[in-house]
Amino acid sequence: MSEFDPILLAVNDLATTFQTAGGPLPAVGGVSFELKRNETIGVVGESGSGKTVLTRTIMGLQQRTNVTVTGSVLLDGHEMVGASEMDKRALWGSEVAMIFQDPMTSLNPVMRVGKQIDESLRVRVGMSKADAKARAIELLELVGIPSPAHRYDAYPGQLSGGMRQRVVIAIALACSPKLLLADEPTTGLDVTIQAQILNLLDDLKERLHMSVILVTHDLGVVATRTSRIIVMYAGRIVEIGSTREVFSAHRMPYTRALLESSPKVSNDPHTRLVTIPGRPPNLLKLTQGCSFAPRCSYATDRCHQERPELQPADEPGHAFACWNPLPKTRKRTVKTT
Amino acid sequence: MNRAEPLLKIRDLKVSFGMGHHEVQAVAGVSFDIFEGETLGLVGESGCGKSTTGKALMRIVEPTSGTIELDGVDLCAQKGKALRNIRTRMQMIFQDPISSLNPRRRIKDIVAEPLDCWKSVTGTERDTVVSDLLVKVGIDPQVYGNRYARQFSGGQCQRISIARSLAMRPKLLICDEMVSALDVSVQAQILNLLEDLKKEYGLTLLFIAHDLAVVKNVSDRVAVMYLGKICEIGPSNTLYEVPAHPYTKFLLGAALEADPDSPVHGDVLTGEPPSPMNPPSGCRFRTRCPFATQKCADEEPLLSEVAPGHSVACHYPLNVKTPQKRAPRTTT
Ligand SMILES: Nc1ncnc2c1ncn2[C@@H]1O[C@H](COP(=O)(O)OP(=O)(O)OP(=O)(O)O)[C@@H](O)[C@H]1O
Ligand SMILES: Nc1ncnc2c1ncn2[C@@H]1O[C@H](COP(=O)(O)OP(=O)(O)O)[C@@H](O)[C@H]1O
Ligand code: SF4
Ligand code: SF4
Ligand SMILES: [Mg+2]
Ligand SMILES: [Mg+2]
Repeated sequence: MSEFDPILLAVNDLATTFQTAGGPLPAVGGVSFELKRNETIGVVGESGSGKTVLTRTIMGLQQRTNVTVTGSVLLDGHEMVGASEMDKRALWGSEVAMIFQDPMTSLNPVMRVGKQIDESLRVRVGMSKADAKARAIELLELVGIPSPAHRYDAYPGQLSGGMRQRVVIAIALACSPKLLLADEPTTGLDVTIQAQILNLLDDLKERLHMSVILVTHDLGVVATRTSRIIVMYAGRIVEIGSTREVFSAHRMPYTRALLESSPKVSNDPHTRLVTIPGRPPNLLKLTQGCSFAPRCSYATDRCHQERPELQPADEPGHAFACWNPLPKTRKRTVKTT
Repeated sequence: MNRAEPLLKIRDLKVSFGMGHHEVQAVAGVSFDIFEGETLGLVGESGCGKSTTGKALMRIVEPTSGTIELDGVDLCAQKGKALRNIRTRMQMIFQDPISSLNPRRRIKDIVAEPLDCWKSVTGTERDTVVSDLLVKVGIDPQVYGNRYARQFSGGQCQRISIARSLAMRPKLLICDEMVSALDVSVQAQILNLLEDLKKEYGLTLLFIAHDLAVVKNVSDRVAVMYLGKICEIGPSNTLYEVPAHPYTKFLLGAALEADPDSPVHGDVLTGEPPSPMNPPSGCRFRTRCPFATQKCADEEPLLSEVAPGHSVACHYPLNVKTPQKRAPRTTT
């Protein structure tokens, strides 16, 4: 596949199932979508909806014996599902890289941060020691770390949470990946630091011509930082489309419930929030129907019997999975009372 | 709402922690009032001293100096039984719903902890009180009362924490990041529950959180903290619409509204808060403030009223009707 193919990533019917003591757990249950070059797509959903498992599967990190992965992840012409560890290693860094929520888990606490960047440059790109160090300092500067030559020698514990996340981003960018998977990259950071990191990611995406999958449960982050959104529920995509369309003309009741239940800065004090009754389903006990049915006020018999597949909405690229979709509208204003 | 005398009156509260040879002043002279029946939100970046303020009010950490008056009684002057009696009137709920409950205790015994501790009721009364509280927070005591805390989800654990905190019929509830660990749908359930119980029990709330949207949804007034001090306090709508302190403005500018049409503010605060071990002279925000002048380094700005009930600690407050002349920007 050539550089000129506008599609960088094609995920097709991807399913990840864990064999657990309680039986097979379908964490990702048949997901398909495409991502263009230089595009940022957001993945939203409540905890346990499968966001992390989906990104780890795309990266090819699910390798343990209790996992079954089926379907296809075609990344720039390379199939990730079923690829050997060696083939994947060749792609990690230069094709795809990942940053996680907690930067501490991806940094080695007893190794100087500069050395951690060096390492991937020397192992993956085969740079000389001196070149790698110079490039590492350049990368630290690129991600906005003040006095980078000095910070090169710092240990992760000596840096703040925001600085550590910058280092993690620098490591991920070391080999100029085409796809960056960012799993809750700003969760747990203060809003002012979050804004700095999100601006940095936006800026780097443009400069390095990357595509980004931005996983978050924060609707404010996806609303303002992505062009398209995937809404996940119980391991499946329940709605996908342009960010504006999904926010203003969503058709799936869960999408609406998710948007309405989140507090707004513009709300008056003591605004009553819309709530979704109950909790997400136990993935070990999924029924054959719509997994949102037990909590959905629009549910009919059919919803309990038969699972709705994604179907196209009016706007190209917008699709939703629901038997009784919300009526079409040009602009759905999210209710807050 | 009785505006005349505050329920809680805090003056010049300071809390220091020893760190080897160094000392961290986590709370560096904080004063505010909370009036009966209101919710005061407390916001600010990680490490600015929100939790320490809450814990000092509960005397979970000892204040270094300052006064805390509840209903006119100075808590810091009380000892032994008298202090314990006053303390039953304030309760605190913490962020981590699961670890703040003992996993090996039954739900009804967890809720009864304060009752048992104060030996305030007899056996049968205890059962009735506990059942009533569980019903109030939406947990069926018949079905779940005998289960262990470890069997519950985060949202349910937070309901149980709320039931426990209400057992002694407190007047003031301090909520420290109580919904931060919850998903939006569960968060909405808990916030609505808190509003209902506040009305029913006539509670007054100090609501500590870093999520500005959540705080706006529950608070009548909001106080903004930076590096151990309050930099602005005022009615929620005013403070969010016309912030007077530069830090408040940047903080709100960074908060993202869940709306693709809302503008992303271009002004992003650069840098990070300085270490509380070595705070800047004068105004604590001056190392990150684009409006800082020499005066800001030399003189500490004190909280002063810019409108009734709206106070700000800045030499050059923003959005003020009769603005002082802003000095030109100098680099520090
Ligand atoms: N027991 C302690 N010993 C030493 N320093 C402490 C202790 N508790 C808190 N601190 C310090 O006091 C300052 C204020 O901490 P505090 O926990 O009150 O912040 P916070 O505003 O609640 O932050 P967050 O939003 O992260 O919860 C921080 O610098 C913190 O490191
Ligand atoms: N290694 C694993 N073994 C078994 N179940 C797992 C494993 N990893 C994740 N899961 C389950 O998969 C589901 C989706 O998890 P996750 O992708 O982490 O959700 P999210 O990131 O959306 O919060 C959850 O039910 C989780 O418990
Ligand atoms: S398919 Fe039925 S249950 Fe599922 S979201 Fe649509 S209306 Fe609700
Ligand atoms: S006092 Fe000076 S440094 Fe502090 S916030 Fe006001 S203008 Fe900025
Ligand atoms: Mg996750
Ligand atoms: Mg805290």
